[in-house]
Amino acid sequence: MSTIGNSMNIFWQESPIGKLERQKLLNQKGCVVWITGLSGSGKSTLACSLSNELYARGKLSYILDGDNLRHGLNKDLGFKAEDRTENIRRVGEVAKLFADAGLICIASLISPYRKDRDACRAMLPDSNFIEASLFLNGSHLDYVFMNMPLALCEERDPKGLYKLARAGKIKGFTGIDDPYDLPLNCEIEINQKDGVCPMPSAMAGEVVTYLEDKGYLQD
Amino acid sequence: MVVLKALRPAICCSSSIFDGGPLEPVDKASFVMFPFPASSLSMRLRRGNNAKLSLVQATEESSMPIATDPAAAISATNGKATNIVWHKSSIGKLNRQELLQQKGCVIWITGLSGSGKSTLACALCHALYSRGKLAYVLDGDNVRHGLNCDLSFKAEDRAENIRRIGEVAKLFADAGIICIASVISPYRKDRDASRALLPEGDFIEVFMNVSLQICEARDPKGLYKLARAGKIKGFTGIDDPYEPPLNCQLELPQKGNICASPCEMAETVISYLEEKGYLQA
Repeated sequence: MSTIGNSMNIFWQESPIGKLERQKLLNQKGCVVWITGLSGSGKSTLACSLSNELYARGKLSYILDGDNLRHGLNKDLGFKAEDRTENIRRVGEVAKLFADAGLICIASLISPYRKDRDACRAMLPDSNFIEASLFLNGSHLDYVFMNMPLALCEERDPKGLYKLARAGKIKGFTGIDDPYDLPLNCEIEINQKDGVCPMPSAMAGEVVTYLEDKGYLQD
Repeated sequence: MVVLKALRPAICCSSSIFDGGPLEPVDKASFVMFPFPASSLSMRLRRGNNAKLSLVQATEESSMPIATDPAAAISATNGKATNIVWHKSSIGKLNRQELLQQKGCVIWITGLSGSGKSTLACALCHALYSRGKLAYVLDGDNVRHGLNCDLSFKAEDRAENIRRIGEVAKLFADAGIICIASVISPYRKDRDASRALLPEGDFIEVFMNVSLQICEARDPKGLYKLARAGKIKGFTGIDDPYEPPLNCQLELPQKGNICASPCEMAETVISYLEEKGYLQA
């Protein structure tokens, strides 16, 4: 028999207060809205706006921002492919806990590899995983991701990272010398209107409408 | 949109730019929304006795400055109009606490296997739920099936297990949830490191001070038997140390009531939380 093993002697502890009770208390259903896209595509901005919109409706949400988590839970991880994978895995597991707690968990991460995003989706039961994106070039993808052209993201460069990446000071930067896998299946589509990027509040409104339609904003 | 949260007894407000005419009193906690024009909104607010008005947020982007002090937004009862302008703010810990009517914190239950950690966590969850409070249990065993499925029981993995649970508990507390961590967490250094992640007072260490003999006699999962038979190595209490806390906030069962039931012990924790103000916004 294995001695120091991983999960040999671990039992699942049942708790009488479960997800249904918490959902009743909060008057909403727990789920994960996963916002993916290039650096500078507006993920954190949308996450913030979405959180605000939900709060205005008396709904409890919490943002798991990739940058913030890399200062805490994931501070031991870098940007090598395997670390990116572990980063996404851990965020997915935590998002699952938040959804189980009854919150609308908004995960905002570049999450460039499709394989890792799909693994997160598989972690959550039924359809409690909503991949969020924006479409700004008109091409339809049935997945929601911040589909901002690289040129636009680079022009924004809100954190000065593209400049550093172009100067060769950051290696393996997504969009410059590391790939971003386009999503193949999304739940929410937000289109560019007449070539103009929608306001964050408008985009958040579309996500909220989706959540409402799917019944997440009631227990 | 300007969003105001109105609490009892009543808030009545009117605005020269709004529809005109008196507004209905808001007689319970709710969100009042009305259109926000591009220019500054002039409002006259008359606040009744004990009324509480909390500025919640602006849902429309604007570059105008916000009156951050709610009192500043409310005129004195002389009826003088007050200009209130808003700018975008994001939802933070205080907003969530307001929504949940509680303060987020971490209740860290530590002790030997079989000392009753999970049992207490369950009872505590129940007691909090019956008071309308939102709690969530991070049970060591459960977390080792998910987030920490890549970790073993070697000392460094135990440390990483506790570190990750501490970081996640911190996120839950920030979300406004009363997060109950139920983990053996045998090493003082690791527990203290988790404590250091949270603001002073928000990490509430509860020590299940039950003797090894009693835990072993209970042996709810048959693990002591396996450990004694040498089939599990490095089992806490048998051939791996447990370092009791030196300054925990609560020790259970309390001296003088060593036969306390889980419910009684849960009530002790509830009293502590009440006293420290965690069961209100």
